[in-house]
Amino acid sequence: MKLFLKIILFTLIIIWCAGFLIEFIIPHFGSAVYALPFLNKFYSLVCHQNPDKLITINGYSTLVCARCTGIYFGFLFSAAIFIFAIKITEPKIKYFVFAGIPMLLDVLFYSIGIYQYSKTIALITGLLLGSVGFIYFYDALKKLYFEFKEKR
Amino acid sequence: MKKLLPSIVTGFAAGVLTTVPLLKNFACCLLLPAAAVFAVFLDQKANGEDENLLMSKGVVIGLMTGIFAAVFGSTFDILITYIAKSNDLVSTFSEMQNFISNFPINETMKQQITNMMQSMVNDITHTGFSLFYTISIIANNFISDSIFGVIGGMIGVQIYKSRKARQR
Repeated sequence: MKLFLKIILFTLIIIWCAGFLIEFIIPHFGSAVYALPFLNKFYSLVCHQNPDKLITINGYSTLVCARCTGIYFGFLFSAAIFIFAIKITEPKIKYFVFAGIPMLLDVLFYSIGIYQYSKTIALITGLLLGSVGFIYFYDALKKLYFEFKEKR
Repeated sequence: MKKLLPSIVTGFAAGVLTTVPLLKNFACCLLLPAAAVFAVFLDQKANGEDENLLMSKGVVIGLMTGIFAAVFGSTFDILITYIAKSNDLVSTFSEMQNFISNFPINETMKQQITNMMQSMVNDITHTGFSLFYTISIIANNFISDSIFGVIGGMIGVQIYKSRKARQR
Protein backbone atom coordinates (compact mmCIF):
# COMPACT_ATOMS: atom_id res chain seq x y z
CA MET A 1 0.00 0.00 0.00
CA LYS A 2 1.28 3.45 -0.88
CA LEU A 3 2.74 5.61 1.88
CA PHE A 4 0.29 8.48 1.40
CA LEU A 5 -2.66 6.07 1.83
CA LYS A 6 -1.08 4.79 5.03
CA ILE A 7 -0.65 8.34 6.29
CA ILE A 8 -4.29 9.16 5.41
CA LEU A 9 -5.48 6.05 7.29
CA PHE A 10 -3.38 6.89 10.35
CA THR A 11 -4.55 10.52 10.27
CA LEU A 12 -8.21 9.45 10.12
CA ILE A 13 -7.74 7.23 13.18
CA ILE A 14 -6.07 10.13 15.04
CA ILE A 15 -8.98 12.45 14.09
CA TRP A 16 -11.47 9.83 15.32
CA CYS A 17 -9.66 9.56 18.67
CA ALA A 18 -9.33 13.36 18.96
CA GLY A 19 -13.11 13.57 18.45
CA PHE A 20 -13.99 11.65 21.60
CA LEU A 21 -11.24 13.48 23.53
CA ILE A 22 -12.73 16.88 22.58
CA GLU A 23 -13.36 17.88 26.22
CA PHE A 24 -9.63 17.62 26.90
CA ILE A 25 -8.88 19.68 23.77
CA ILE A 26 -11.34 22.55 24.41
CA PRO A 27 -9.29 24.19 27.22
CA HIS A 28 -6.38 24.48 24.74
CA PHE A 29 -8.37 25.30 21.57
CA GLY A 30 -11.46 27.19 22.74
CA SER A 31 -13.22 27.22 19.35
CA ALA A 32 -13.48 23.41 19.52
CA VAL A 33 -16.40 24.00 21.90
CA TYR A 34 -18.66 24.59 18.85
CA ALA A 35 -18.18 20.96 17.88
CA LEU A 36 -18.98 19.59 21.34
CA PRO A 37 -22.80 19.17 21.05
CA PHE A 38 -22.48 17.57 17.61
CA LEU A 39 -19.64 15.27 18.57
CA ASN A 40 -21.50 14.32 21.74
CA LYS A 41 -24.46 13.24 19.61
CA PHE A 42 -22.18 11.66 17.00
CA TYR A 43 -20.42 9.42 19.50
CA SER A 44 -23.74 8.60 21.21
CA LEU A 45 -24.53 6.63 18.05
CA VAL A 46 -21.61 4.31 18.66
CA CYS A 47 -21.59 4.20 22.48
CA HIS A 48 -24.17 4.24 25.28
CA GLN A 49 -22.16 7.05 26.99
CA ASN A 50 -23.18 5.95 30.49
CA PRO A 51 -21.66 8.71 32.71
CA ASP A 52 -20.43 6.11 35.25
CA LYS A 53 -18.44 4.36 32.54
CA LEU A 54 -16.72 7.37 30.95
CA ILE A 55 -13.06 8.06 31.68
CA THR A 56 -12.92 11.34 33.61
CA ILE A 57 -9.72 13.24 34.36
CA ASN A 58 -9.73 16.71 36.02
CA GLY A 59 -13.46 17.05 35.36
CA TYR A 60 -13.16 16.36 31.64
CA SER A 61 -14.54 13.12 30.22
CA THR A 62 -14.16 11.08 27.08
CA LEU A 63 -17.29 11.02 24.89
CA VAL A 64 -17.24 7.22 24.79
CA CYS A 65 -17.07 4.64 27.58
CA ALA A 66 -13.88 3.09 28.91
CA ARG A 67 -14.31 -0.03 26.76
CA CYS A 68 -14.83 1.91 23.52
CA THR A 69 -11.91 4.20 24.46
CA GLY A 70 -9.80 1.07 24.83
CA ILE A 71 -10.93 -0.28 21.46
CA TYR A 72 -10.11 2.99 19.66
CA PHE A 73 -6.78 3.47 21.44
CA GLY A 74 -5.96 -0.15 20.62
CA PHE A 75 -6.74 0.61 17.00
CA LEU A 76 -4.49 3.70 17.11
CA PHE A 77 -1.69 1.88 18.90
CA SER A 78 -1.79 -1.03 16.46
CA ALA A 79 -2.04 1.35 13.50
CA ALA A 80 1.18 3.08 14.55
CA ILE A 81 2.96 -0.27 14.75
CA PHE A 82 1.52 -2.23 11.84
CA ILE A 83 1.17 0.57 9.31
CA PHE A 84 4.69 1.91 9.67
CA ALA A 85 6.85 -0.74 11.33
CA ILE A 86 5.86 -4.41 11.37
CA LYS A 87 4.46 -6.22 8.33
CA ILE A 88 1.86 -8.94 8.91
CA THR A 89 0.22 -11.09 6.25
CA GLU A 90 -2.88 -13.30 6.53
CA PRO A 91 -3.48 -13.17 10.30
CA LYS A 92 -5.36 -16.20 11.60
CA ILE A 93 -8.93 -15.43 12.64
CA LYS A 94 -8.62 -17.44 15.86
CA TYR A 95 -6.44 -14.69 17.39
CA PHE A 96 -9.25 -12.22 16.80
CA VAL A 97 -11.67 -14.56 18.57
CA PHE A 98 -9.20 -15.04 21.46
CA ALA A 99 -8.77 -11.26 21.76
CA GLY A 100 -12.54 -10.85 22.09
CA ILE A 101 -12.96 -13.48 24.82
CA PRO A 102 -11.62 -11.37 27.77
CA MET A 103 -14.05 -8.58 26.81
CA LEU A 104 -17.00 -10.96 26.57
CA LEU A 105 -16.06 -12.54 29.90
CA ASP A 106 -15.75 -9.11 31.53
CA VAL A 107 -19.21 -8.09 30.26
CA LEU A 108 -20.62 -11.43 31.44
CA PHE A 109 -18.95 -11.39 34.87
CA TYR A 110 -19.96 -7.87 35.88
CA SER A 111 -23.46 -8.33 34.39
CA ILE A 112 -24.14 -11.37 36.57
CA GLY A 113 -22.52 -9.65 39.57
CA ILE A 114 -19.34 -11.68 40.01
CA TYR A 115 -17.53 -8.37 40.36
CA GLN A 116 -18.29 -4.65 40.06
CA TYR A 117 -17.78 -2.84 36.75
CA SER A 118 -14.20 -1.67 36.49
CA LYS A 119 -13.13 1.02 34.02
CA THR A 120 -9.59 -0.32 34.09
CA ILE A 121 -10.64 -3.86 33.11
CA ALA A 122 -13.01 -2.46 30.46
CA LEU A 123 -10.22 -0.27 29.06
CA ILE A 124 -7.68 -3.12 28.98
CA THR A 125 -10.04 -5.67 27.40
CA GLY A 126 -11.11 -3.05 24.84
CA LEU A 127 -7.47 -2.22 24.15
CA LEU A 128 -6.76 -5.88 23.47
CA LEU A 129 -9.66 -6.32 21.05
CA GLY A 130 -9.00 -3.01 19.31
CA SER A 131 -5.31 -3.64 18.79
CA VAL A 132 -5.88 -7.15 17.41
CA GLY A 133 -8.96 -6.02 15.43
CA PHE A 134 -6.88 -3.43 13.58
CA ILE A 135 -4.58 -6.14 12.21
CA TYR A 136 -7.58 -7.80 10.48
CA PHE A 137 -8.97 -4.50 9.33
CA TYR A 138 -5.62 -3.45 7.88
CA ASP A 139 -5.13 -6.82 6.19
CA ALA A 140 -8.62 -6.48 4.66
CA LEU A 141 -7.79 -2.95 3.54
CA LYS A 142 -4.62 -4.16 1.84
CA LYS A 143 -6.57 -6.90 0.04
CA LEU A 144 -9.11 -4.31 -1.10
CA TYR A 145 -6.30 -2.10 -2.37
CA PHE A 146 -4.79 -4.96 -4.39
CA GLU A 147 -8.22 -5.93 -5.76
CA PHE A 148 -8.66 -2.41 -7.11
CA LYS A 149 -5.10 -2.40 -8.42
CA GLU A 150 -5.68 -5.69 -10.28
CA LYS A 151 -8.94 -4.42 -11.78
CA ARG A 152 -7.10 -1.42 -13.21
CA MET B 1 -34.00 -6.70 -3.97
CA LYS B 2 -32.87 -10.18 -2.91
CA LYS B 3 -29.28 -8.97 -2.99
CA LEU B 4 -30.13 -6.09 -0.67
CA LEU B 5 -32.22 -8.10 1.77
CA PRO B 6 -29.36 -9.11 4.14
CA SER B 7 -28.30 -5.47 4.42
CA ILE B 8 -31.89 -4.29 4.94
CA VAL B 9 -32.57 -6.86 7.70
CA THR B 10 -29.34 -6.29 9.63
CA GLY B 11 -29.44 -2.52 8.98
CA PHE B 12 -32.96 -2.37 10.39
CA ALA B 13 -31.92 -4.29 13.51
CA ALA B 14 -28.89 -2.02 14.04
CA GLY B 15 -31.01 1.10 13.40
CA VAL B 16 -33.53 0.02 16.02
CA LEU B 17 -30.89 -0.91 18.60
CA THR B 18 -29.05 2.41 18.25
CA THR B 19 -32.10 4.67 18.34
CA VAL B 20 -35.08 3.33 20.26
CA PRO B 21 -35.02 4.45 23.94
CA LEU B 22 -34.01 1.69 26.42
CA LEU B 23 -32.75 -0.52 23.59
CA LYS B 24 -30.11 2.05 22.77
CA ASN B 25 -28.49 1.45 26.16
CA PHE B 26 -27.03 -1.61 24.45
CA ALA B 27 -25.57 0.55 21.68
CA CYS B 28 -21.93 -0.11 21.23
CA CYS B 29 -19.31 0.56 18.62
CA LEU B 30 -19.30 -3.18 17.90
CA LEU B 31 -23.01 -3.29 17.05
CA LEU B 32 -22.84 -2.02 13.49
CA PRO B 33 -19.69 -3.94 12.53
CA ALA B 34 -21.38 -7.06 13.95
CA ALA B 35 -24.49 -6.31 11.84
CA ALA B 36 -22.31 -5.96 8.74
CA VAL B 37 -20.46 -9.22 9.49
CA PHE B 38 -23.84 -10.91 9.87
CA ALA B 39 -25.01 -9.34 6.58
CA VAL B 40 -22.00 -10.85 4.75
CA PHE B 41 -22.89 -14.32 6.06
CA LEU B 42 -26.60 -13.84 5.27
CA ASP B 43 -25.72 -12.69 1.77
CA GLN B 44 -23.67 -15.83 1.17
CA LYS B 45 -26.52 -18.00 2.43
CA ALA B 46 -29.19 -16.20 0.42
CA ASN B 47 -27.34 -15.58 -2.83
CA GLY B 48 -25.17 -18.66 -3.06
CA GLU B 49 -21.78 -19.27 -1.53
CA ASP B 50 -18.84 -17.71 -3.29
CA GLU B 51 -15.48 -19.39 -2.68
CA ASN B 52 -13.64 -16.31 -3.93
CA LEU B 53 -15.64 -13.71 -2.12
CA LEU B 54 -14.06 -10.36 -2.94
CA MET B 55 -13.22 -7.75 -0.33
CA SER B 56 -14.96 -5.13 -2.49
CA LYS B 57 -18.20 -7.11 -2.14
CA GLY B 58 -17.77 -7.04 1.64
CA VAL B 59 -17.28 -3.27 1.44
CA VAL B 60 -20.49 -2.88 -0.59
CA ILE B 61 -22.51 -5.12 1.78
CA GLY B 62 -21.09 -3.27 4.82
CA LEU B 63 -21.77 0.11 3.25
CA MET B 64 -25.34 -0.85 2.36
CA THR B 65 -25.89 -2.17 5.91
CA GLY B 66 -24.59 1.14 7.26
CA ILE B 67 -26.78 3.17 4.90
CA PHE B 68 -29.91 1.19 5.82
CA ALA B 69 -29.06 1.46 9.53
CA ALA B 70 -28.68 5.22 9.06
CA VAL B 71 -31.98 5.51 7.17
CA PHE B 72 -33.91 3.53 9.80
CA GLY B 73 -32.02 5.09 12.72
CA SER B 74 -32.57 8.66 11.50
CA THR B 75 -36.25 7.99 10.75
CA PHE B 76 -36.86 6.52 14.21
CA ASP B 77 -34.96 9.32 15.92
CA ILE B 78 -36.85 12.06 14.04
CA LEU B 79 -40.20 10.34 14.61
CA ILE B 80 -39.61 9.71 18.31
CA THR B 81 -38.44 13.30 18.78
CA TYR B 82 -41.53 14.58 16.93
CA ILE B 83 -43.94 12.47 18.99
CA ALA B 84 -42.27 12.91 22.39
CA LYS B 85 -41.21 16.54 21.79
CA SER B 86 -38.09 15.60 23.68
CA ASN B 87 -34.82 13.76 23.16
CA ASP B 88 -31.29 13.40 24.58
CA LEU B 89 -30.43 16.97 23.62
CA VAL B 90 -33.43 18.38 25.54
CA SER B 91 -32.93 16.17 28.60
CA THR B 92 -29.22 16.92 28.94
CA PHE B 93 -29.38 20.60 27.93
CA SER B 94 -29.09 22.15 31.42
CA GLU B 95 -26.30 19.73 32.28
CA MET B 96 -24.47 20.63 29.07
CA GLN B 97 -25.03 24.35 29.72
CA ASN B 98 -23.43 24.07 33.17
CA PHE B 99 -20.63 22.02 31.76
CA ILE B 100 -19.85 24.51 29.00
CA SER B 101 -19.91 27.40 31.49
CA ASN B 102 -17.06 25.71 33.37
CA PHE B 103 -14.74 25.55 30.38
CA PRO B 104 -11.82 28.03 30.50
CA ILE B 105 -12.89 29.76 27.25
CA ASN B 106 -14.16 33.26 26.51
CA GLU B 107 -17.72 34.28 27.40
CA THR B 108 -18.77 35.12 23.81
CA MET B 109 -18.07 31.56 22.70
CA LYS B 110 -19.96 30.14 25.66
CA GLN B 111 -22.93 32.41 24.89
CA GLN B 112 -22.95 31.54 21.18
CA ILE B 113 -22.89 27.79 21.72
CA THR B 114 -25.53 28.01 24.46
CA ASN B 115 -27.79 30.13 22.22
CA MET B 116 -27.39 27.66 19.36
CA MET B 117 -28.36 24.74 21.58
CA GLN B 118 -31.16 26.71 23.23
CA SER B 119 -32.73 27.42 19.83
CA MET B 120 -32.68 23.70 18.94
CA VAL B 121 -34.14 22.78 22.35
CA ASN B 122 -36.90 25.41 21.96
CA ASP B 123 -37.83 24.13 18.50
CA ILE B 124 -37.98 20.54 19.73
CA THR B 125 -40.01 21.23 22.88
CA HIS B 126 -42.50 23.47 21.00
CA THR B 127 -42.93 21.73 17.66
CA GLY B 128 -41.05 18.42 18.01
CA PHE B 129 -38.87 19.37 15.06
CA SER B 130 -35.62 21.27 14.64
CA LEU B 131 -34.18 21.55 11.15
CA PHE B 132 -30.63 21.99 12.47
CA TYR B 133 -30.97 18.96 14.75
CA THR B 134 -32.50 16.87 11.95
CA ILE B 135 -29.69 17.71 9.53
CA SER B 136 -27.06 16.92 12.16
CA ILE B 137 -28.76 13.61 13.02
CA ILE B 138 -28.94 12.51 9.39
CA ALA B 139 -25.33 13.53 8.72
CA ASN B 140 -24.08 11.87 11.92
CA ASN B 141 -25.94 8.63 11.22
CA PHE B 142 -24.78 8.38 7.63
CA ILE B 143 -21.14 9.11 8.46
CA SER B 144 -20.76 6.86 11.51
CA ASP B 145 -22.90 3.98 10.24
CA SER B 146 -21.17 3.92 6.85
CA ILE B 147 -17.70 3.86 8.45
CA PHE B 148 -18.59 1.10 10.90
CA GLY B 149 -20.56 -0.82 8.28
CA VAL B 150 -17.61 -0.86 5.87
CA ILE B 151 -15.21 -1.97 8.63
CA GLY B 152 -17.66 -4.74 9.59
CA GLY B 153 -18.14 -5.82 5.96
CA MET B 154 -14.39 -6.14 5.46
CA ILE B 155 -13.87 -8.07 8.68
CA GLY B 156 -16.91 -10.21 7.70
CA VAL B 157 -15.19 -11.28 4.47
CA GLN B 158 -12.02 -12.11 6.43
CA ILE B 159 -13.99 -14.29 8.87
CA TYR B 160 -16.03 -15.91 6.09
CA LYS B 161 -12.95 -16.81 4.05
CA SER B 162 -11.14 -18.11 7.10
CA ARG B 163 -14.10 -20.38 7.95
CA LYS B 164 -14.30 -21.64 4.39
CA ALA B 165 -10.56 -22.38 4.37
CA ARG B 166 -10.92 -24.42 7.57
CA GLN B 167 -13.85 -26.39 6.16
CA ARG B 168 -11.85 -27.38 3.07
